[in-house]
Amino acid sequence: MEHALTLDGITKRFGDVVAVNDVSLRVPQGCIYGFLGPNGAGKTTTIRIIMSIFYPDAGQISVLGSPNPEAVKDRLGYLPEEKGLYKKMKTGELVAYFGKLKGLPGGVATERAESLLVEFGLGDWIDKKTEALSKGMGQKVQILSTLIHEPELVILDEPFAGLDPVNVQVVRDMILEMKRQGRTVIFSTHVMEQAEQICDYIFLINKGHKVLDGTLAEARASGDKAVVIDYEGDGSILRRLPGVRHVSDAGKTAEIFLAEGTNPQDILAQLVGKLQIRRFDMREPSLHEVFIRAVGGDNDA
Amino acid sequence: MRKIVLVAQREYLANVRTKGFWFGILFFPVLLSAFIVVPMLLERTKGARQYAVVDRSGWLLEAADRAIAGGDMWEALGTSIERYRSEPEEFVQLPMVVQDVTPLLAELEPSQVGVFARAVVAEDWSGEGTGLPPEALRTLADYGPALHEWWSTLPPGIAGDMFSDVSANYYLRVDVADTSQAALNRLVSEGAIFAYFVIGEDPLTGSAGSKYVSNNLTDNDLRRWFGRRASQAVQARRMTLEEIDPQVARWIQEPITWEQLKLSDTGEEQQIEERDTMRQWAPVAFVYLLWISVWAVSQMLMTNTVEEKSNRVIEVLLSSVSSMELLAGKILGIATTGLTLVGSWLLVFFLGTKYIPQMLGAPPSLDLSALASDPILIGSFLAYFILGYLLYAAVLVSIGSVCNTVSDAQNMMPAVMLVLIIPLMAMMPIGQDPNGGLAKILSFIPPFTPFVMMNRAAGPPQLWEYVATTLLLIVSILVAWWAGAKVFRIGILLTGKPPKVREILRWVRAPVGAVPERKES
Repeated sequence: MEHALTLDGITKRFGDVVAVNDVSLRVPQGCIYGFLGPNGAGKTTTIRIIMSIFYPDAGQISVLGSPNPEAVKDRLGYLPEEKGLYKKMKTGELVAYFGKLKGLPGGVATERAESLLVEFGLGDWIDKKTEALSKGMGQKVQILSTLIHEPELVILDEPFAGLDPVNVQVVRDMILEMKRQGRTVIFSTHVMEQAEQICDYIFLINKGHKVLDGTLAEARASGDKAVVIDYEGDGSILRRLPGVRHVSDAGKTAEIFLAEGTNPQDILAQLVGKLQIRRFDMREPSLHEVFIRAVGGDNDA
Repeated sequence: MRKIVLVAQREYLANVRTKGFWFGILFFPVLLSAFIVVPMLLERTKGARQYAVVDRSGWLLEAADRAIAGGDMWEALGTSIERYRSEPEEFVQLPMVVQDVTPLLAELEPSQVGVFARAVVAEDWSGEGTGLPPEALRTLADYGPALHEWWSTLPPGIAGDMFSDVSANYYLRVDVADTSQAALNRLVSEGAIFAYFVIGEDPLTGSAGSKYVSNNLTDNDLRRWFGRRASQAVQARRMTLEEIDPQVARWIQEPITWEQLKLSDTGEEQQIEERDTMRQWAPVAFVYLLWISVWAVSQMLMTNTVEEKSNRVIEVLLSSVSSMELLAGKILGIATTGLTLVGSWLLVFFLGTKYIPQMLGAPPSLDLSALASDPILIGSFLAYFILGYLLYAAVLVSIGSVCNTVSDAQNMMPAVMLVLIIPLMAMMPIGQDPNGGLAKILSFIPPFTPFVMMNRAAGPPQLWEYVATTLLLIVSILVAWWAGAKVFRIGILLTGKPPKVREILRWVRAPVGAVPERKES
C-alpha cells in the first residue's frame, strides 16, 4: 500500500452550495501533508469526508487502502477545528475514553492515557477535571486523545490555533515525532509559515476547487522568483521602482517580483541610500505569496 | 454495538455523578416521608389546646362535661374492644376492670357501646329507657360502678397515654380564677389559653349571650367540638322538659345509612375498603411521578446534547463513532440513568411504606404497601416511563441538537410544555372517571397516552385499549425517532443561529443524499 489516502473526483454539495468540487489527491504514507486554504475553502468538509462524518456525493475515496473510511475509523486519529473536552470528566478518564472508543481494551486505554499524560508533563492533572486545564494544556490533552490508539493516519484541523509560541513548539514537536514513528499526518492551517516549516507536501484549496498540490518545492516553483529584502524606512518607494511587477510588502520585509529582463542588481543600486537594507536575497516565492496569488492574487497584481 | 455501550456507559456515569441526579434520587423519599411522617410527628408534637369556659347558665358546662366524658368513655371502651380482638399484648396491660368488661361489650353494636358509656358516666346503673339489650343492662349493673370509679379518678394525662384518641389529648379545659372579660381576653392575647367560651344565661331559649373568643381564625376544631357537645346537652335537656323519650327522639333523627358496595371482576357485590379508595386515586400520584420523571429525564438528554455541542466535543466523538451510534448510546445511557432513578423511587416506596411507620411505632401502612406491589400500577408505571421517555426524548434531542447553548434550548421549551401541561390538567377529571369520554379520547393521542393510560389504571381500561394505544404510541415513537435521527445528524454539526422550524421540517422531508446524509456502502 503506497498511499495513506487517495481522493478521486470527490464532490460534496450542501443544498445549492458546492463545498468540495471534483477534488483529487494522493497522500503518500509517512509524510506530513499541509491542507491550506482560506476560511470556507472546503478544508474541513474534505477532512470530514475522510473521517466518514460526511459521505461524498460523487467520487472515490480510499483511506489506508479501504474504499470505506468507516471500516478503518479506528486506525485514524482526528483533531477537529472545533475542539473541546467534557468539562466534568477527569483528564485521565477522558483520554482513556477516547482510546476505548477507538477500540482499545479498557485496561490498555487507562494505562496508555496515564503514561502519555505523564510523558507530556500533565501527570499532575490525571485526576483533575478537564475544566481546570489551561487552554494550552487542554489542546495538548486533545492531541493526546487523538494519538492514544496509535493511529496510522492523523488528521489535525488547525492544531496551532490559539496557542502561544511555547505550545506551538510543543505541538510542532509532536507532529514531527509522529512522522518519525512512521505515521502519516495531514494538518490544515492558514498560517503559511507553519506549513513551510514542517510540511513535505501541501494541498491548496479555494472555493471548493483544488488550486495546487505537490511537494513544498513544487508549490514554490509554481510562482516567479522574487527578491526578498529586509529593510528600515519608507517602503512605498518599492512600488515606484522601474522594472518591478508586483511588491508584497510586510513593513520590514518585502518580496519584490521583477518584470521580465530586470536585473536584480539594478534594483539594489536604486535602493541604496533611500532605504537601509539589511538583507538582499534572491529566492523562490514564499508559500504566503503563492497562497495570496492563488486565492486573491487577481486583486493584488 | 461496543461503541454504543461505551457511549451509554459514559453518559450514565457522567449523569450519576451530578448533584442533580442525587437530588432526584432523594426527591421521592423526601416527598413520601413528608406524606407519612410529617402528619404523624405533627400529631405528636401538637399539645392539647387549653380553653376556659364561663358558664352563665349554671348547668350547661356540667352537662357538656358529662357529654365529653361520655364520649371519652366510649372512645376508651371502643379502643379496648379493638385491642381485645386484634392486639392481645396491649390488651393485657389495661386495668383489670376494663379487661373484665370488654369481652362482654364486644358483642354490642358500636352505637350501643356509646349508649353504655354515657350511662356509666351518668351513673345510671339501671339503664332504663336506654334501649340496651338485657345482657348489656346486666353488664352495666355489674360493672358500671367500678368502671365509673376507675374513670373518674383517672388523671387526664394517664388516660391520654392509655388511649390516644380521648379528648384530653386534644383539648384541655382550665379553670381560671378571674372570669372577667378583660382577664380572659388578656389570657387569650398572651397565648396562655387558646380560646374561651361564654355560655349565655338561658341556652334553652336561644343563643343570646353565647360566644367563642380566639385569635386563631383558621383552626375551628375546638369551637366545633365543644359546641357540638354543649348543643347535645341542650337538646337532651329540652327533650326532658318536653317529656320526649330520648329513644324516640333518636329514632326520629336516625338517618338511613347506605352500604357502599362495588362489583368484583366476576360481577359479585363486594365491600369497599379504604384500600379501594386509595387504589382509585393512587394512579393520580403515579401520573404525577411519571410526568416529573419523563420530563426530567428526557430533558437530561437534551441538555447533554447541547453541552456536547457547545463543548465542541461532538466532532471528536464523530471521528470515532457514527452519529447514529452516538444517538443510540445517549438514549441508552440516559434511559438507564432514568430507570435507576425511578427504580430507586419504587424501591423506597415499597420498603418505606412497609418499614418506616413501624420504625416510628405506628402500624405498618398495609394499604400503601399493597399499592407499592400492585402489578398493574407498578408495571404501567415502568412501561409508560420507558415509552414516554422514548417519545419525548426524540423531540427534545432534536431540539438539543440544533441549539448551540442551553439557553437557546430553554427558549424552545414553552412549546413542548404547552403540550405536556394537558395531561396534568386532565389528571383529576380522569381520576374521577377513568373510563369516561375524555379519558378515552386523550389516551389515543400519543403524546398523552403514557400519562392518561397511567391515570386510567384505576379503571382499568380494557385490554384492547391497552393494545391499541400502545401500538399507536410505538408507531409514533418510531416516526419520532426516524425524524429525530435525521435532525440529529444534521443538527449536531451545525453552528451559528438555530434553524427555523421550516428548515428543520425540510431536513426531515429531504430524501437521502440531498442533505449531509450517509449512504451505507
